[in-house]
Amino acid sequence: MAPRDEDEYSRRGFFQLALGWLAGAFAIAASAAGAVRFLMPNVLFEPSQAFKAGKAEDYPDASVTFLEEERVFIVRQGNTFRCVSAVCTHLGCTVNRAEGGYHCPCHGSIFDDQGTVKSGPAPRGLDWFEISVGKDGRLLVDKDIRVAADKYLVLSAKA
Amino acid sequence: MNAPLPKSLWRMFQRSRVGRSIFRVGLPESNLERSQAMVSSFLLHIQPAKVNKHSLKPGYTLGLGLISLYLFFILIGTGTLLMFYYVPSTERAYDTMKDLQFVVSAGLLLRNMHRWSAHLMVLFVMLHLCRVFYTGAYKPPREFNWVIGVVLFLLTLGLSFTGYLLPWDQLAFWAITVGTSIAGYAPIIGPKVKYLLLGGNIVGQEALTRFYALHVIVLPAVAGLMLSVHLWRVRKDGGLSRPGEAEDTVERIPLEALPQNKSYGLMELARGTTPQVGKNPEDEVFSWPHLVFREMILFLIVAAVVLFLAIFWNAPLEQFANPIHPPNPAKAPWYFLGLQELVSYSAFWGGVVVPGLLVTALMLLPYFDRKRVGVGEWFARERWAAISVFTVCLVAAIIFTIIGTLFRGPNWGWVEPWKTEQPPALEEH
Repeated sequence: MAPRDEDEYSRRGFFQLALGWLAGAFAIAASAAGAVRFLMPNVLFEPSQAFKAGKAEDYPDASVTFLEEERVFIVRQGNTFRCVSAVCTHLGCTVNRAEGGYHCPCHGSIFDDQGTVKSGPAPRGLDWFEISVGKDGRLLVDKDIRVAADKYLVLSAKA
Repeated sequence: MNAPLPKSLWRMFQRSRVGRSIFRVGLPESNLERSQAMVSSFLLHIQPAKVNKHSLKPGYTLGLGLISLYLFFILIGTGTLLMFYYVPSTERAYDTMKDLQFVVSAGLLLRNMHRWSAHLMVLFVMLHLCRVFYTGAYKPPREFNWVIGVVLFLLTLGLSFTGYLLPWDQLAFWAITVGTSIAGYAPIIGPKVKYLLLGGNIVGQEALTRFYALHVIVLPAVAGLMLSVHLWRVRKDGGLSRPGEAEDTVERIPLEALPQNKSYGLMELARGTTPQVGKNPEDEVFSWPHLVFREMILFLIVAAVVLFLAIFWNAPLEQFANPIHPPNPAKAPWYFLGLQELVSYSAFWGGVVVPGLLVTALMLLPYFDRKRVGVGEWFARERWAAISVFTVCLVAAIIFTIIGTLFRGPNWGWVEPWKTEQPPALEEH
């Protein structure tokens, strides 16, 4: 084998080497990217994030109702409704309703009635989801749409 | 028929054509055969024919690495058997656990052994890491084997984490919820990693399938491969570290500096052309029987302890996974409680930054602390600085773990374990 001194690379040798390395690197990168892409599912068989929450009359005035299946609280105060997520923003545990707010059992975050963080490691307040009235007059919640923590649904006084 | 019957029968078999084809060398009787026995056996050849006396001192290694290896073997054996019954389905996983507990012959025992070995393996891998640190065994030329060791430690944690999800009980469900949420806090790639781990946005069947595949094939295969490299390198880096080895080493003449038109034997290629200093015959004993028998006895002890624990203490199984209510408090296994305590201050700092920095520091340690002093002795005085830093981190980790284990009650609130009085239960919704 000829001694390989770095100074002795010819232009052709350099391009051959560069092409070889590039092709190899590309093949590995493409395989890795393909494998990661393969592991990212394109279709999810998960329950819809939008659901019907029943009639407004089902919720008594000044009440906080926990909807287990959906992991949300429906809060009614007079004619105003809001839907507060029961999923702790810290690490995803379900918060419990407690006096004056919500407590997370996993790492001790405490939220007030509005879902704002009072103490604990939660980085932000509990999510509020869009709540509206559907065509059939029932409440409609979409957990895919987060709203600001002051956007109540206000119903006309007859409800 | 003077010799006892079994022995003579065994000898007869060994000397037969079939026996010779299998064993080549029988039970060795001379020093030559003792070397041959090690070299010619597949199972024994990864170990040297002769071993330094210092490496055999129980007080030096405490056998921690070997114990971890044995626990890994037991885990593979029991885990393979458990796979014959377990079904990775959110609907059936819990039922198959109950079947193993109450219906399958020896199912309870096997599951208990698997669980106890897993807990012990986490413990002994940690202890092994501490031993290697406190004896300075990570210093050159063993830097890279230390890095592989850190990777093996992480793989051990990954194996135990993916493992305790599989029963699909309350612990499983909420551990996967919390664990993948922590991954989601990693900068930039966090949310993608979480999606990748769960195979979706919610903790469900896709997540269980993925963790199952990781637990039974991906992580064990990677761990097995790394383990092989780890053991192979112990020999290639000069056997176990021992005192005075740095002074003993003679710079080998690099082959490049020798005449290139000469052909070299395998020994010269592997070890250079200098005599092996520090390998004086009087310092060494034959691996057979001195090393091999000690290893066998240690395996018997490990197997006996695991069996003892598995017979008298059952692996817990919590209630069926309930995606609505986490248990209160929702606690991880003991080795993650320090992390859980950190996370209870901040998910990003406690769950991503601190563990990330600690692992990085561990991996880089041998490239910064590379002066070859105090190698092969416990708590060498010259290494006081490195030892102090490591000990502070270790003590902090232990304190956080103790707090997380004993001093945290419902809502992760502070409780004092010596007070039996339980705080009032939280009102339900």
